[in-house]
Amino acid sequence: MKRFVIGIESTAHTFSSSIVASDGEILSNSKEVYKPPAGSGIHPFEASQSHRDSAARVVAQSLEEAGVAGTELSAVSYAMGPGLGPCLRVGALVARTLAAKYSIPLVPVNHAVGHIELGCLLTGTVDPLVLLVSGGHSLIVVYAAKRWRILGETLDLTLGQLLDQFGRHAGLASPCGAKVEVAASKSRNYQELPYTVKGNDVSFSGLLTSAKRMLDGRVPFEDVCFSLQETAFAMMVEVTERALAFTQKREVMVVGGVSANRRLSSMITEMSGRHGSEFSSVPLSYSGDCGAQIAWTGMLADSAGVKVPVESAGVRQSWRLDTAEIPWRD
Amino acid sequence: METRHSGNSMEGLIFPRELLYRGAEADVYKGVWSGRDAVFKVRKRLSYRLPQLDNVIRGRRTMREAQMLHRAKSAGVASPHLFFVDTVNHSLVMEFVPGMRLKEVLSVASEVPPSILFEELGRGVARLHAAGLVHGDLTTANVITDARRLVLVDFGLANLTSKLEDRAVDLRLLKETVTGAHPDMSVIAFDSFMDGYGQVLGKVESLTALKQLRRIERRGRYANVE
Repeated sequence: MKRFVIGIESTAHTFSSSIVASDGEILSNSKEVYKPPAGSGIHPFEASQSHRDSAARVVAQSLEEAGVAGTELSAVSYAMGPGLGPCLRVGALVARTLAAKYSIPLVPVNHAVGHIELGCLLTGTVDPLVLLVSGGHSLIVVYAAKRWRILGETLDLTLGQLLDQFGRHAGLASPCGAKVEVAASKSRNYQELPYTVKGNDVSFSGLLTSAKRMLDGRVPFEDVCFSLQETAFAMMVEVTERALAFTQKREVMVVGGVSANRRLSSMITEMSGRHGSEFSSVPLSYSGDCGAQIAWTGMLADSAGVKVPVESAGVRQSWRLDTAEIPWRD
Repeated sequence: METRHSGNSMEGLIFPRELLYRGAEADVYKGVWSGRDAVFKVRKRLSYRLPQLDNVIRGRRTMREAQMLHRAKSAGVASPHLFFVDTVNHSLVMEFVPGMRLKEVLSVASEVPPSILFEELGRGVARLHAAGLVHGDLTTANVITDARRLVLVDFGLANLTSKLEDRAVDLRLLKETVTGAHPDMSVIAFDSFMDGYGQVLGKVESLTALKQLRRIERRGRYANVE
């Protein structure tokens, strides 16, 4: 018999609720997104207030759209971390309430694992080298011995933060990734910016400072966007290629909000082709934070017996991907 | 087949193209150079990278590697002999080092236990560090070994530096690699490596480097700061 799991996501600016079925069908994926004013980033408290306002509406909508009654749910999963404390606590509260109300298991999910597992489900990927690029993460990972293992990452800012903070400096409203991409596509004028690769890791902080200075020095916005993207993406793809040459995985998958960027995708596609590996990217509508990533991972975790008592179901602002146990994979 | 060369380029010359290894930034072929077994490391144009950027990086790394190979040898670290630098095609011709990459040795049952290999690697890297050099890409794919010796290859990201942070980045990458690719032996491998490292640089230096490595790890995103 089909089972249904609800997943609650609230790690950053998105509050989302989704219902998935045990056969992998995503029945609903409702969300509301907190939008900070132009030029500023996410204010954790204000985002959490926005989540409080959205929660009941979003959860009800996800059940209705899925055509599943609360009593038909077999587990509740929520993003326990990593993320912004006040935001995470809203999701945890909602999840505890649902678990208590329907007397069903409460399943904690690592948000980053959620991005990866949903990506595997939607792309049909089995054992990929994963590039997770978002506002919270810029990591290269592979699965081995019950953990997703980090082979390379950013030493400071994530790709999402880099694009966002640069965009905000230029006066755009967050999130800025798509706007930077559009501006970049209008230029072919490359200006040299710092390229920092350390082994399998990258560093974006010097690049951000230089790009901001370049903009202040009256280099046209489009040219800076183009140069920034070309430099940052080349760095990220280079370390991904190093990890791919090292692991010789046959599949490369990119997930996370920045995977929506077409220039980045085309670079990874070319790179993967050079090594004869198959490239896949999570579908656009599921690239950003969403409940489906939590619900599907919750489904997998629930099948492996992962759960936490309602009384002690808290949040973990810092929860590194490689410390999360993955009991459902061989 | 014999290869000849002229000027600073191998352009137009024919050399045997037996692809040994397709790396991230270079293709490595086996051939013959002045009667000796040689590898041809060709830093290919990476089509995903903007040509201006690509040229700068390939040129910089090829020169860097050529210089650092010599420095490594002066430091007493086994590394391939350099035969020729092609500054036009960003390529190097080097001595062919027989043996297997450490990464592959670890995946088969070897007669030499991993702890011995990592201890020896630790000594080699310590000699490099003591001479004011860091490798910059210290993975188990960049170490070639036969029954007798360990040879460090791929110095394209190497650097002249005695900064504690840079040394610790070498250690961090090695640790990242063994945990990611050889999780079953990662603890013993890294501990043995640090043993060897300490034998050359001394206990104090080795503990200081290890502390710096921990600092870098704590800086990692979502590392335990709660």
